[in-house]
Amino acid sequence: MRYFARKIGFFVLTLWAVVTLNFLIPRLQPGDPAELMVQNLAGKNAQLNRAQVEAMRDLLGAPSGSLFSQYWSYLGQLAHGDLGISYTYFPYTVAEVIGKAFWWTVILVGAVQLLSFAIGILLGAFAAWRRNSRFDTSVTVISTFVGTLQPFWIALLLIYGLGYGLGWFPTAGGYEASTPGFNGAFLYDALSHAFLPALTLMIVTPIGWILGMRNTMIMNLGEDYIRLARAKGLPDRMIALRYAARNALLPSVAGFALALGGILGGTILVESVFDYPGLGRLMGEAVGIKDYPLLQGLMLLTAVATLVANLIADLLYGVLDPRARRAAA
Amino acid sequence: MTSTSFRIRRGQRSWRGVLVAVSAVAVLALPACAGSRVAGEKQAQQGSTAASGMIPELNLSSESDAAMGSLVNYNPFAVQQTVRTWLFEPLMQQSSLDCKVVPWLATAYTWESPSKLVFTIRQGVKWSDGSPFTAKDVAFTYNLTKKYPPIDLAGVWNNTFGPKAKSVTADGDKVTFEFEGPAATKFPYLIGQKIVSEKEFGPAGDPAKYVSKNPISTGPFKVASYNGRQLVLERRPDYWQADKVKVQKLVLEGHYSDNANQAAAKLKAGELDFYSGEIPNPEKAFVADDPKTNHVWYAPNGVTVVAPNLTKKPFSDVKFREALAHGMDKQRATEKATYGLMKVASQSGLPLPQKDDMLPSKYPADSTVIPFDLAKANQLLDDAGYRKGSNGVRQNPDGSPIKITFSVQAGWIDYEAMADEITSNFRKLGLDITVSKMPPEAVDQQKKSGNFQLMINYMGAGCDYAHGMGATVSTAEIPDKTTIKGNIGRYSNPAVDKAIGAMASATDEAATKQQVGVLVDAMMTDYPVLPILYAPARAIYRTDHAVGWPTADDPYANPQDQPLVWITHLTAAPSK
Repeated sequence: MRYFARKIGFFVLTLWAVVTLNFLIPRLQPGDPAELMVQNLAGKNAQLNRAQVEAMRDLLGAPSGSLFSQYWSYLGQLAHGDLGISYTYFPYTVAEVIGKAFWWTVILVGAVQLLSFAIGILLGAFAAWRRNSRFDTSVTVISTFVGTLQPFWIALLLIYGLGYGLGWFPTAGGYEASTPGFNGAFLYDALSHAFLPALTLMIVTPIGWILGMRNTMIMNLGEDYIRLARAKGLPDRMIALRYAARNALLPSVAGFALALGGILGGTILVESVFDYPGLGRLMGEAVGIKDYPLLQGLMLLTAVATLVANLIADLLYGVLDPRARRAAA
Repeated sequence: MTSTSFRIRRGQRSWRGVLVAVSAVAVLALPACAGSRVAGEKQAQQGSTAASGMIPELNLSSESDAAMGSLVNYNPFAVQQTVRTWLFEPLMQQSSLDCKVVPWLATAYTWESPSKLVFTIRQGVKWSDGSPFTAKDVAFTYNLTKKYPPIDLAGVWNNTFGPKAKSVTADGDKVTFEFEGPAATKFPYLIGQKIVSEKEFGPAGDPAKYVSKNPISTGPFKVASYNGRQLVLERRPDYWQADKVKVQKLVLEGHYSDNANQAAAKLKAGELDFYSGEIPNPEKAFVADDPKTNHVWYAPNGVTVVAPNLTKKPFSDVKFREALAHGMDKQRATEKATYGLMKVASQSGLPLPQKDDMLPSKYPADSTVIPFDLAKANQLLDDAGYRKGSNGVRQNPDGSPIKITFSVQAGWIDYEAMADEITSNFRKLGLDITVSKMPPEAVDQQKKSGNFQLMINYMGAGCDYAHGMGATVSTAEIPDKTTIKGNIGRYSNPAVDKAIGAMASATDEAATKQQVGVLVDAMMTDYPVLPILYAPARAIYRTDHAVGWPTADDPYANPQDQPLVWITHLTAAPSK
């Protein structure tokens, strides 16, 4: 029980630190959001229109009161689930804006992560079992090579190859001519638009799982209990799957929970390259335009998601592996 | 649905086939989606298409520059608008290129005195819901911006561009503006205010917070459909100058500000008819592909200048600045920064030849462009006492070393190219100069603090010379700690300030020209800033669907700022 209490206490403390940093960081930034927004709308080859800057300042409103009272009201707002109003999408609230982007990223990256995890674990386990075989060598070498490539660069290659060159897939956006909703035309449209971003991520994401799984599994294969199982004459498949792979999976499960938390951070570059209407693109845009309320909302969401995923992984770990519980107690 | 399958099929064709396919799709798509509620109307229009030279469809980029297009808002006062150009209209249109005024929702204006302006409002204009547009709507709009300062984007009710307005009233077909003082300089901003209807905005409450989903507008188009990404606008047959609008349908989709390559590819594929964003070297990336159909026109709009900080030595010395003006290879800087699309700028500060007629007669236009002459620059520096020390580097006349830092916005590639070229020119003069690339916000911070030596700045053009060109040289426009203003070099000259003040009373061109002459004089003799090249208003376009775009030969509109003007000039491309 103490194990769980400690983990939860740690979670609350980290959450408070995240919220406080999230409050402070935008207030330490240089630059006037009103000026930046007017300049952004006009482009760089335009004089800053001061009437528009004044109007924008009136619109956004300046924070009033001491830093401490601002902090209190910020905590109060958060407690009510109020993330404020986005600068860029004024008068839409941050919650509304994030809500629009949320499912695009969760579905795309979530599906990719699940699939990558499954593929990565299987390939890694197989490579370890047949280590130094031709299969193992090619998987390891290819993974190491592809792992050095930047996802957005792969994205650009795919856009030019499969997008413009062959014209098989649309290259930008989440959908095109259909009306969002649960209908065949839209699903088809959305899937065809999600294909290239998903493929880009699918090329890169499994690599971590492949290499991680392969290494842990090889270590496990050297353990005494595997030798014992062999000596008992258990069939190879049973040793590989029930004994070695199952134990090697443990660190990956924890890693997977973290990766799921990271989904909300999105894949800023990949989503930006494909103009995909998800959280990553939104975050890239908020950073560029200095939309602090939106940025705060996104950072908070990411941090909380990661923390929650971490907590779940920790708690789960305690259940899965009694040693962890005992060591911490 | 139909158009989805078309798009995908279209994608499978070869690059050249796409051109043929697009026109085929456009023709096929019309009857294909005629099952909708406007079927009858569409077929009627289709019938007349061939006869009257209509353009069935034009593809433009999205005007909402944001990722979450699905947050709809047609409110013309909103920060992020689903469409900016095609729904709401201003009183008049003025091209920043030649300053000619084109009557729009108002047919005429007169300055009864420099502080009283009267517009005659056009009769027979209908809102998109069929109700008549009146002078009352105009007065309502301007008074709305009085009540809610956050939407007063034209600065009518504050003293940014001239004295505040006292009142805006409607009487019959006249709308009268009264100001607290001479306000001629407010004209270009004030006429640009988009006029909204009392019917929609009267009950809407705070217009800044109002989300408009069913806009009532006067413009040539209305919303046909929007799915969060693709906005389809259809021509209004009851538009007040419908006879001039030949485009049946506008399709706005995609924003390419982060991805110029994609814009170029879409343009080449014929999926984009007009684009006014930035594409590096459009001649090579787009025009060269098919010079008969693909065109580009970069109109000289403002002036990009080197701005020295006049509060710092040695830039405080006019002789030093004059030497620099002769020692910049503007031609090479222009070639590097704009691939030769723009011309080198005149020291007068006016974009020439469009504004030749504003130059005082003592300056023939050609003489105002300072040629690159290293020998002369060296001579001027020698004469002014900036001699080379034993290390071959020039020093101040008092013997102290000169060390110059050129601050440049990192990532603004044309600015970086200009700074690199000019820095290497200045090194040849024996100056110790380095480029410091920093985030644009850091450059802004330096503009406010005045803690810099050299920078590249944009010198406004436009038709309000007091706050456009004047912003660079007016004492009132020296930035302060919280606000960026135009005069980042901290130049101050009482004669210039007086001329700028007098422009507020200059309600005709001759009076304006006289005051602009004072500014030109200051530019030519004081070198407060050193113009490099003209900054563009961009038009990158195709002529296989529509012709009649503004061009260098026929610059009837600013292509970037005045789409409403060019849409009334477009006609169908002659069939091949």
